[in-house]
Amino acid sequence: MSDKPKELECEDAIRMVLEYLDNELKHGDHNALEAHIHKCRSCYSRVEFEKRLKGLVGEAPKTVAPTDLKLKIKKITDSF
Amino acid sequence: MFRTESDFPGVMADTHPHRDVFVSHVENSLDRLYSTALRLTRNPSDAEELVAETVAKAWACLHTLQDPDRCLPWMLRIMTNTFISEKRTARSKTPHEEYAEEPGDDTSFSLFERLHQPFLLWWGNPEQEFLDSVDRKDIEQALETLPEDFRVVVLLSDMEGLTYQEIAEALDVPIGTVRSRLARARSLLQKLLWDHALDKGLVTKQTLE
Repeated sequence: MSDKPKELECEDAIRMVLEYLDNELKHGDHNALEAHIHKCRSCYSRVEFEKRLKGLVGEAPKTVAPTDLKLKIKKITDSF
Repeated sequence: MFRTESDFPGVMADTHPHRDVFVSHVENSLDRLYSTALRLTRNPSDAEELVAETVAKAWACLHTLQDPDRCLPWMLRIMTNTFISEKRTARSKTPHEEYAEEPGDDTSFSLFERLHQPFLLWWGNPEQEFLDSVDRKDIEQALETLPEDFRVVVLLSDMEGLTYQEIAEALDVPIGTVRSRLARARSLLQKLLWDHALDKGLVTKQTLE
Protein backbone atom coordinates (compact mmCIF):
# COMPACT_ATOMS: atom_id res chain seq x y z
CA MET A 1 0.00 0.00 0.00
CA SER A 2 1.39 3.40 -0.97
CA ASP A 3 2.16 5.89 1.79
CA LYS A 4 1.15 8.75 -0.45
CA PRO A 5 -2.10 10.33 0.76
CA LYS A 6 -5.00 9.91 -1.64
CA GLU A 7 -6.04 12.97 -3.63
CA LEU A 8 -9.21 14.60 -2.40
CA GLU A 9 -11.70 16.77 -4.22
CA CYS A 10 -12.92 19.83 -2.31
CA GLU A 11 -16.36 18.27 -2.02
CA ASP A 12 -14.90 15.32 -0.12
CA ALA A 13 -12.61 17.50 1.96
CA ILE A 14 -15.47 19.71 3.07
CA ARG A 15 -17.41 16.69 4.32
CA MET A 16 -14.44 15.64 6.43
CA VAL A 17 -13.56 18.95 8.07
CA LEU A 18 -15.53 18.60 11.30
CA GLU A 19 -14.42 15.04 11.96
CA TYR A 20 -10.87 16.12 11.21
CA LEU A 21 -11.10 18.83 13.86
CA ASP A 22 -12.64 16.32 16.27
CA ASN A 23 -9.63 14.07 15.64
CA GLU A 24 -11.95 11.29 14.55
CA LEU A 25 -10.77 10.66 11.01
CA LYS A 26 -8.99 7.44 10.18
CA HIS A 27 -5.28 7.90 9.67
CA GLY A 28 -5.47 7.74 5.85
CA ASP A 29 -8.30 10.26 5.62
CA HIS A 30 -6.61 12.54 8.15
CA ASN A 31 -3.44 12.65 6.05
CA ALA A 32 -5.41 13.07 2.84
CA LEU A 33 -7.24 16.09 4.23
CA GLU A 34 -4.03 17.65 5.49
CA ALA A 35 -2.45 17.17 2.08
CA HIS A 36 -5.47 18.79 0.44
CA ILE A 37 -5.56 21.89 2.65
CA HIS A 38 -1.87 22.28 2.09
CA LYS A 39 -2.71 22.92 -1.55
CA CYS A 40 -6.22 24.38 -1.46
CA ARG A 41 -6.55 27.84 -0.04
CA SER A 42 -10.32 27.78 0.19
CA CYS A 43 -10.45 24.52 2.14
CA TYR A 44 -7.58 25.71 4.31
CA SER A 45 -9.59 28.85 5.15
CA ARG A 46 -12.60 26.70 5.95
CA VAL A 47 -10.61 24.50 8.33
CA GLU A 48 -9.16 27.56 10.06
CA PHE A 49 -12.63 29.06 10.42
CA GLU A 50 -14.23 25.90 11.81
CA LYS A 51 -11.26 25.35 14.14
CA ARG A 52 -11.60 28.84 15.53
CA LEU A 53 -15.36 28.53 15.95
CA LYS A 54 -15.00 25.19 17.70
CA GLY A 55 -12.44 26.81 19.99
CA LEU A 56 -14.84 29.65 20.80
CA VAL A 57 -17.55 27.19 21.75
CA GLY A 58 -15.11 25.21 23.87
CA GLU A 59 -13.90 28.31 25.69
CA ALA A 60 -17.31 29.14 27.09
CA PRO A 61 -16.76 29.89 30.76
CA LYS A 62 -16.75 27.16 33.36
CA THR A 63 -18.66 27.89 36.53
CA VAL A 64 -17.06 27.55 39.95
CA ALA A 65 -18.64 24.87 42.12
CA PRO A 66 -20.55 26.44 45.02
CA THR A 67 -19.20 25.93 48.55
CA ASP A 68 -22.14 23.87 49.71
CA LEU A 69 -21.52 21.44 46.86
CA LYS A 70 -17.89 21.09 47.93
CA LEU A 71 -19.08 20.28 51.44
CA LYS A 72 -21.67 17.83 50.14
CA ILE A 73 -19.06 16.03 48.05
CA LYS A 74 -16.60 15.97 50.95
CA LYS A 75 -19.22 14.23 53.05
CA ILE A 76 -19.73 11.66 50.30
CA THR A 77 -16.03 11.00 49.76
CA ASP A 78 -15.38 10.82 53.52
CA SER A 79 -17.71 7.85 53.56
CA PHE A 80 -15.70 5.94 50.91
CA MET B 1 -3.39 4.04 38.98
CA PHE B 2 -6.74 2.49 39.79
CA ARG B 3 -6.73 -1.20 40.51
CA THR B 4 -9.41 -3.73 39.76
CA GLU B 5 -11.20 -5.46 42.59
CA SER B 6 -9.26 -8.63 41.78
CA ASP B 7 -5.97 -6.95 42.73
CA PHE B 8 -7.18 -6.52 46.28
CA PRO B 9 -9.06 -9.67 47.16
CA GLY B 10 -10.85 -9.28 50.43
CA VAL B 11 -9.84 -5.62 50.84
CA MET B 12 -12.76 -3.39 51.80
CA ALA B 13 -13.43 -0.33 49.67
CA ASP B 14 -12.64 2.06 52.51
CA THR B 15 -9.04 0.82 52.75
CA HIS B 16 -8.51 1.03 49.01
CA PRO B 17 -5.05 2.52 48.60
CA HIS B 18 -6.15 4.55 45.59
CA ARG B 19 -9.14 6.11 47.31
CA ASP B 20 -7.07 9.21 47.95
CA VAL B 21 -6.10 9.47 44.30
CA PHE B 22 -9.72 9.20 43.21
CA VAL B 23 -10.91 11.70 45.82
CA SER B 24 -8.22 14.15 44.79
CA HIS B 25 -9.29 13.72 41.16
CA VAL B 26 -12.85 14.52 42.17
CA GLU B 27 -11.83 17.61 44.14
CA ASN B 28 -9.71 18.93 41.27
CA SER B 29 -12.49 18.31 38.75
CA LEU B 30 -15.36 19.64 40.81
CA ASP B 31 -15.68 22.92 38.92
CA ARG B 32 -15.74 21.07 35.59
CA LEU B 33 -18.22 18.51 36.91
CA TYR B 34 -20.48 21.24 38.22
CA SER B 35 -20.20 23.32 35.03
CA THR B 36 -21.21 20.38 32.91
CA ALA B 37 -24.00 19.39 35.27
CA LEU B 38 -25.33 22.95 35.18
CA ARG B 39 -25.31 22.99 31.39
CA LEU B 40 -27.13 19.68 31.32
CA THR B 41 -29.76 20.41 33.96
CA ARG B 42 -29.94 24.21 33.61
CA ASN B 43 -30.80 24.35 37.29
CA PRO B 44 -28.26 24.84 40.10
CA SER B 45 -29.83 22.56 42.68
CA ASP B 46 -30.41 19.77 40.12
CA ALA B 47 -26.82 20.26 39.02
CA GLU B 48 -25.57 19.74 42.57
CA GLU B 49 -27.64 16.58 42.91
CA LEU B 50 -26.30 15.31 39.61
CA VAL B 51 -22.69 15.88 40.65
CA ALA B 52 -23.27 14.13 43.97
CA GLU B 53 -24.88 11.13 42.25
CA THR B 54 -22.10 11.00 39.68
CA VAL B 55 -19.36 10.95 42.31
CA ALA B 56 -21.11 8.20 44.27
CA LYS B 57 -21.66 6.12 41.14
CA ALA B 58 -18.11 6.64 39.92
CA TRP B 59 -16.78 5.36 43.23
CA ALA B 60 -19.07 2.35 43.09
CA CYS B 61 -17.81 1.35 39.65
CA LEU B 62 -14.24 2.60 39.87
CA HIS B 63 -13.00 -0.78 38.70
CA THR B 64 -14.55 -0.08 35.29
CA LEU B 65 -12.27 2.90 34.66
CA GLN B 66 -9.92 1.61 31.99
CA ASP B 67 -7.66 4.58 31.41
CA PRO B 68 -6.76 6.65 34.50
CA ASP B 69 -5.77 9.54 32.23
CA ARG B 70 -9.39 9.73 31.04
CA CYS B 71 -10.88 9.87 34.53
CA LEU B 72 -12.79 13.11 33.98
CA PRO B 73 -14.30 12.07 30.61
CA TRP B 74 -15.23 8.76 32.29
CA MET B 75 -17.02 10.61 35.10
CA LEU B 76 -18.72 12.86 32.54
CA ARG B 77 -19.98 9.76 30.76
CA ILE B 78 -21.47 8.51 34.02
CA MET B 79 -22.97 11.96 34.61
CA THR B 80 -24.52 12.11 31.16
CA ASN B 81 -25.85 8.59 31.45
CA THR B 82 -27.43 9.43 34.80
CA PHE B 83 -28.92 12.63 33.44
CA ILE B 84 -30.40 10.92 30.37
CA SER B 85 -31.87 8.05 32.43
CA GLU B 86 -33.51 10.47 34.81
CA LYS B 87 -34.88 12.47 31.90
CA ARG B 88 -36.37 9.31 30.42
CA THR B 89 -38.10 8.56 33.71
CA ALA B 90 -39.48 12.09 33.91
CA ARG B 91 -40.24 12.30 30.20
CA SER B 92 -43.71 13.82 30.59
CA LYS B 93 -42.33 17.05 32.05
CA THR B 94 -40.72 18.70 29.03
CA PRO B 95 -41.40 16.64 25.91
CA HIS B 96 -40.97 19.65 23.65
CA GLU B 97 -37.30 19.75 24.48
CA GLU B 98 -36.65 16.35 22.98
CA TYR B 99 -35.43 16.60 19.45
CA ALA B 100 -35.89 13.35 17.64
CA GLU B 101 -33.75 12.65 14.60
CA GLU B 102 -35.88 13.58 11.65
CA PRO B 103 -35.33 12.99 7.97
CA GLY B 104 -34.43 16.19 6.24
CA ASP B 105 -32.79 17.65 9.34
CA ASP B 106 -30.64 20.38 8.04
CA THR B 107 -26.92 19.84 8.25
CA SER B 108 -26.28 22.14 5.37
CA PHE B 109 -26.14 25.53 7.04
CA SER B 110 -22.58 26.74 6.98
CA LEU B 111 -21.43 30.10 8.28
CA PHE B 112 -18.28 29.76 6.24
CA GLU B 113 -20.23 29.38 3.03
CA ARG B 114 -22.39 32.38 3.88
CA LEU B 115 -19.40 34.57 4.58
CA HIS B 116 -16.46 33.41 2.53
CA GLN B 117 -15.83 35.47 -0.54
CA PRO B 118 -12.97 33.98 -2.54
CA PHE B 119 -12.43 37.06 -4.64
CA LEU B 120 -11.52 38.97 -1.47
CA LEU B 121 -8.67 36.54 -0.80
CA TRP B 122 -5.96 39.15 -0.77
CA TRP B 123 -7.55 42.07 1.05
CA GLY B 124 -10.26 40.87 3.37
CA ASN B 125 -11.41 37.98 5.44
CA PRO B 126 -15.09 38.36 6.20
CA GLU B 127 -15.41 34.99 7.90
CA GLN B 128 -12.67 35.79 10.40
CA GLU B 129 -14.12 39.25 10.92
CA PHE B 130 -17.43 37.60 11.71
CA LEU B 131 -15.78 35.51 14.41
CA ASP B 132 -14.08 38.66 15.73
CA SER B 133 -17.56 40.11 16.24
CA VAL B 134 -18.95 37.08 18.09
CA ASP B 135 -18.81 37.57 21.83
CA ARG B 136 -19.14 35.17 24.76
CA LYS B 137 -22.78 36.07 25.31
CA ASP B 138 -23.65 35.22 21.71
CA ILE B 139 -22.15 31.75 22.06
CA GLU B 140 -23.86 31.16 25.41
CA GLN B 141 -27.18 32.30 24.03
CA ALA B 142 -26.88 30.07 20.99
CA LEU B 143 -25.93 27.09 23.16
CA GLU B 144 -28.86 27.71 25.47
CA THR B 145 -31.22 27.85 22.50
CA LEU B 146 -30.16 24.48 21.13
CA PRO B 147 -32.59 21.63 21.76
CA GLU B 148 -31.32 19.42 24.56
CA ASP B 149 -30.07 16.49 22.48
CA PHE B 150 -27.99 18.88 20.40
CA ARG B 151 -26.77 20.89 23.35
CA VAL B 152 -25.55 17.74 25.10
CA VAL B 153 -23.44 16.47 22.19
CA VAL B 154 -21.87 19.88 21.57
CA LEU B 155 -21.14 20.19 25.27
CA LEU B 156 -19.52 16.77 25.50
CA SER B 157 -17.52 17.18 22.30
CA ASP B 158 -16.48 20.82 22.09
CA MET B 159 -16.38 21.73 25.76
CA GLU B 160 -15.31 18.52 27.39
CA GLY B 161 -13.34 16.91 24.57
CA LEU B 162 -14.96 13.51 24.76
CA THR B 163 -14.33 11.21 21.79
CA TYR B 164 -17.25 10.04 19.66
CA GLN B 165 -16.92 6.63 21.30
CA GLU B 166 -17.11 8.16 24.78
CA ILE B 167 -20.12 10.23 23.80
CA ALA B 168 -21.81 7.17 22.31
CA GLU B 169 -21.32 5.30 25.57
CA ALA B 170 -22.48 8.28 27.59
CA LEU B 171 -25.70 8.57 25.60
CA ASP B 172 -26.10 4.86 24.94
CA VAL B 173 -26.47 5.43 21.20
CA PRO B 174 -24.52 4.14 18.21
CA ILE B 175 -21.43 6.08 17.20
CA GLY B 176 -23.08 6.93 13.87
CA THR B 177 -25.83 8.72 15.77
CA VAL B 178 -23.22 10.79 17.60
CA ARG B 179 -21.63 11.76 14.29
CA SER B 180 -24.86 12.82 12.65
CA ARG B 181 -26.25 14.50 15.74
CA LEU B 182 -23.08 16.56 16.11
CA ALA B 183 -23.26 17.60 12.46
CA ARG B 184 -26.87 18.73 12.87
CA ALA B 185 -26.15 20.44 16.18
CA ARG B 186 -23.26 22.40 14.76
CA SER B 187 -25.25 23.37 11.70
CA LEU B 188 -28.03 24.68 13.92
CA LEU B 189 -25.57 26.46 16.20
CA GLN B 190 -24.08 28.23 13.20
CA LYS B 191 -27.55 29.16 11.95
CA LEU B 192 -28.38 30.63 15.37
CA LEU B 193 -25.18 32.69 15.35
CA TRP B 194 -25.99 33.88 11.85
CA ASP B 195 -29.56 34.86 12.74
CA HIS B 196 -28.32 36.69 15.80
CA ALA B 197 -25.79 38.59 13.69
CA LEU B 198 -28.56 39.52 11.28
CA ASP B 199 -30.61 40.85 14.20
CA LYS B 200 -27.65 42.84 15.45
CA GLY B 201 -27.10 44.25 11.98
CA LEU B 202 -23.57 42.81 11.78
CA VAL B 203 -24.39 41.12 8.52
CA THR B 204 -27.10 41.95 6.10
CA LYS B 205 -28.99 39.76 3.74
CA GLN B 206 -27.24 41.69 0.98
CA THR B 207 -24.05 39.95 1.99
CA LEU B 208 -25.53 36.89 0.36
CA GLU B 209 -26.34 38.44 -2.98
